[in-house]
Amino acid sequence: MGDAIVRARGLSKLYEPDTWALRDVTLEVERGSWVTIMGPSGSGKTTLLNMISCLDSPSEGDLRINGTDVTELDQKALACFRRENLGLVFQQYHMVPYLTALENVMLAQYYHSVVDEREAAEALERVGLGHRLTHTPSQLSGGEQQRVCIARALINDQQILLADEPTGNLDVKNGEVVLDLIKDLHDDDHTIILITHNPEMSKMGDVLVELLDGRVVSSGNVAGAMGGG
Amino acid sequence: MFLRILSKSISKRKGKIAIAVIAVMMGASVTTALLTVSLDVNEKMNYEFRKFGANLLVLPQSDTISVGIGQFGFGAVTEQKYINQSDLYKIKTIYWAKNVLGYAPYLYQAVTLENGNETGVAILTGTWFEKDTILEDGTVFKTGAKKINSWWEVQGDWVVDGNNSHDAMIGVNVAERLGLRLGDVVKAGYNERPEDAGNATSVDLNVVGIVSTGGSEDDQVFAGLDVAQNLTGKTGKVHTVQVSALCTKCPVDEFAAEIEEKIPYVDAKTVKQLANAEMNLLSKIENMMLLVSSVALSASALGVATTMTASVVERRKEIGLMKGMGAENGRIARLFLAEAGIMGIIGGILGYAVGLVLAYFIGLSVFNSQVMPSLFVLPIALGIGVGVALLASLLPVRRATKVEPAVVLRGD
Repeated sequence: MGDAIVRARGLSKLYEPDTWALRDVTLEVERGSWVTIMGPSGSGKTTLLNMISCLDSPSEGDLRINGTDVTELDQKALACFRRENLGLVFQQYHMVPYLTALENVMLAQYYHSVVDEREAAEALERVGLGHRLTHTPSQLSGGEQQRVCIARALINDQQILLADEPTGNLDVKNGEVVLDLIKDLHDDDHTIILITHNPEMSKMGDVLVELLDGRVVSSGNVAGAMGGG
Repeated sequence: MFLRILSKSISKRKGKIAIAVIAVMMGASVTTALLTVSLDVNEKMNYEFRKFGANLLVLPQSDTISVGIGQFGFGAVTEQKYINQSDLYKIKTIYWAKNVLGYAPYLYQAVTLENGNETGVAILTGTWFEKDTILEDGTVFKTGAKKINSWWEVQGDWVVDGNNSHDAMIGVNVAERLGLRLGDVVKAGYNERPEDAGNATSVDLNVVGIVSTGGSEDDQVFAGLDVAQNLTGKTGKVHTVQVSALCTKCPVDEFAAEIEEKIPYVDAKTVKQLANAEMNLLSKIENMMLLVSSVALSASALGVATTMTASVVERRKEIGLMKGMGAENGRIARLFLAEAGIMGIIGGILGYAVGLVLAYFIGLSVFNSQVMPSLFVLPIALGIGVGVALLASLLPVRRATKVEPAVVLRGD
């Protein structure tokens, strides 16, 4: 048994009055692994990712991330935990519209600790946007915006990248560029937890978790799953 | 980084910020106008009081008789009465005598002045300048116009009280009109019955001083009381007495009542009474402007609150994103409060400028006086602008801190 960076036990989420978005989910994510979560709309994928992102709290169950029981943390401590450990990438990119690509990356540094413009520029160069530093989101393509978001997500050396449909709004070519970046991060020992509807993407991870109606219906490593299929 | 976020956030939403700034400006301008007018007019009134020197005016009671035939009234005639000079010492016999710093009797008479070929009419005012008077207990008390009007600007010398000294001080306007200078001699003529030339009296006055006060004194000629009394035949009589009482929360009304008791045939009026009408008007205008200010500031707060609420709603995703990156509620609140503070500062400064213009027009139209701007009001206008903007932003900012990133960042 390896070192689990995320350990969820009996996670449930109830939206009042009686809608269970997640029911008794147990999940372990090994440090440095790539876990892909799949499932139809309304299956609870995003709810599960929000819990692991510390953006939402479970109604029941335990959740330990990087050794910390995050269900015990208050809002301020959760914010601190997020900026230290988690990098978030969303389907709709979400950048601050009036800041440049460089400033959007620096914003993450600002909320974390100290702003280092050179380091932020280097992060953007690594995702192939060294020539787009001063462009605002409206001047960037969707793929470019998503690459800024990836640079921003890990600028503070967070160990876990949580991505909710990162290529969902991108064309094939840009989707491949973004996936290649995520692969590189995985190769650099970052833990990746990724939601997707795309079966092709599911083949790229180590572990595939399938959800249906808020429950885990299957979980296994991709090689085994592919072999079994 | 904070300043970079702040400046870009503001420059991106200039139009909406401008609406909030205008809202703050309106409230701050009305308040500035109120304060500027109030301070300026109060200062002017205080200056007038100080100019007056005395704070009590003693006048003889007058009998007014209505004149008419049957039901048709022709008006009223007032019999001219005088105060006896021999009663003046009684002013220093009241309970508050120690607080009476000085007093000066005045006898007024229109006279003709001749300076060579130049002639004109002016008021000759007989008074004491700094006369030694003997009080009831035998002590000497120096009193007169110089004692209670020490602020008068006198070119040359004050007249020295003495036996029938013919020295005089002339008002600056009289000097200009008749071409009089220090050292000149001017002839003052008086005739109670102009049709009888044989009844005329005159006296030569030596110009020893030229008085400039900016008031009615500039049109008068001041001579010793005995000189004026001899010229006009009103020996031992005076028209009015000005009394200067030490007045730090002192009961000037009681002074007046006691003087009226000691000299039963006089009315003693306090300067406060004389200025009451103006003070009442000022007070009413202040109350009205206070009300208008309150309404304007409420409207300002509403304007800012609306703009800030719209801003929070519009920027929910941005707030959620910041929280997702680990920003605590305090940092989110600081950003929005800083924006509100800047709106307050700009609105306050603009409000101050507009308020000064408003104050100028209010001063001209209501008080017929130019209101002077006061820098003292600027920090108050700024404080009000910032205060209103911050207070009005509290609820929207609270709303911003309640934004749930999981909800607003959800992919559709």
